[in-house]
Amino acid sequence: MPRVTIELPSLLTTVTGEETLTVDADTLREALDRAFAEAPALRGHLFDESGTFRPHVLCFLNDVNSRWFEDLDRPLGDGDCITILQAVSGG
Amino acid sequence: MRVVTLIGTEKGAFLCRSNGDRRNWTIEGPIFKGWRVTASARTPGGRYLLATASQVYGPALHVSTDLENWKQIERGPAYPEGSDRKLNQIWTLTCTPERHYAGVDVAGLFASADDGESWEPVPGLNDHPTRESWFPGGGGLCAHVVLVDPRKPERIWCGISAVGVWRSDDGGATWQAKNQGVRCVIEDEKIPEIGYCVHGLVQDPDDADVIYRQDHAGMYRSRNAGDTWEKIEDGLPSWFGFPIAIDRRTKTLFSVPMESDEYRMPVDGRFAVYCSRNGGDSWEPLTDGLPQERNYAGVLRGALAVDTLDPAGVAVGSTQGDVFVSADGGAAWQRLPCRLPRVLTVETYVEE
Repeated sequence: MPRVTIELPSLLTTVTGEETLTVDADTLREALDRAFAEAPALRGHLFDESGTFRPHVLCFLNDVNSRWFEDLDRPLGDGDCITILQAVSGG
Repeated sequence: MRVVTLIGTEKGAFLCRSNGDRRNWTIEGPIFKGWRVTASARTPGGRYLLATASQVYGPALHVSTDLENWKQIERGPAYPEGSDRKLNQIWTLTCTPERHYAGVDVAGLFASADDGESWEPVPGLNDHPTRESWFPGGGGLCAHVVLVDPRKPERIWCGISAVGVWRSDDGGATWQAKNQGVRCVIEDEKIPEIGYCVHGLVQDPDDADVIYRQDHAGMYRSRNAGDTWEKIEDGLPSWFGFPIAIDRRTKTLFSVPMESDEYRMPVDGRFAVYCSRNGGDSWEPLTDGLPQERNYAGVLRGALAVDTLDPAGVAVGSTQGDVFVSADGGAAWQRLPCRLPRVLTVETYVEE
């Protein structure tokens, strides 16, 4: 099973304690589920009541925005990096 | 004796510490740096609850026993997945020996029977038959104040903007609108009991039937648990404002009038707290030490607190990040040496 890292914004270290999590997962969805299992409160910060990413939360798999994927069942490879970012908006 | 005033701001919380004299203060923080800190409370068991929110990452509720080490509560207030309601922030936390209550945006009430570890919605209010006609105020559609009768905890009041005050006499199972005598600000064509914009509520600590209400439409008092309301504005420079607080020992009331709903700033640029020492019959300004020239900072509904000491300490935070404290019931004020982000909530905790 591939080992991947999840990079989180520093604001969310109040939830996880660390900015980087390492998980073993076959898909992007599974990696997120593993992270939610480690830090259950994290789910509510990334997903809203719709069950998908909050409007201003971005999730990149390596350098590709997950919004371009059909779903989160994207296969992972060893060493992949999932990055959670805050969408830049407003001014 | 230690006194801690927790200032929740747009970008974190600050802990202002003093002793019983409340003359010299140290300021610590920010804690929860970058998060909006929207409410705090102490439970009867001595635990602290603190609510945070983020436009990006949503709301959260945290617990601490010492105001230093915090843990996020995993089963905090939340609308279920698939709900068309989004929980944007926790506006208020009210703790009683029996249950704790959290009022949230979008409007809803949640209750905890296990000292805050898990929370359940209060469907009698959240799914009230009038719900679909509820209309938001300027701060959103939010349940922002909860009162509980200490002698009959099944009697609960909840203020929702811009809907009105609701009372339950059966522990939250059913709710009745309690706005008679208050001017309606957003009339509903079909449902006359809603459309009232309560801004703040406080209760006489010895007589739960006596409630004071800073409303969008004026300052009011009820002597019958909210069944009817009367105006109490003698001496106030404006009927508009947000916070209202009470000294539980002397029952002195405190408010911060603002120039009308249109302008929402101190009248004539004079930043003043007003007090009533006679149950709202008349009001007088408290200005010694408060800026009296060209100050146009507002005070939000949660940003005024009174402690439990004798004489009472009063603390008020402004939208410009100033914090003013008084150690003598508001007679004299000092500005704390800080300029914080916009102040959202102020609570003072006395630790023996």
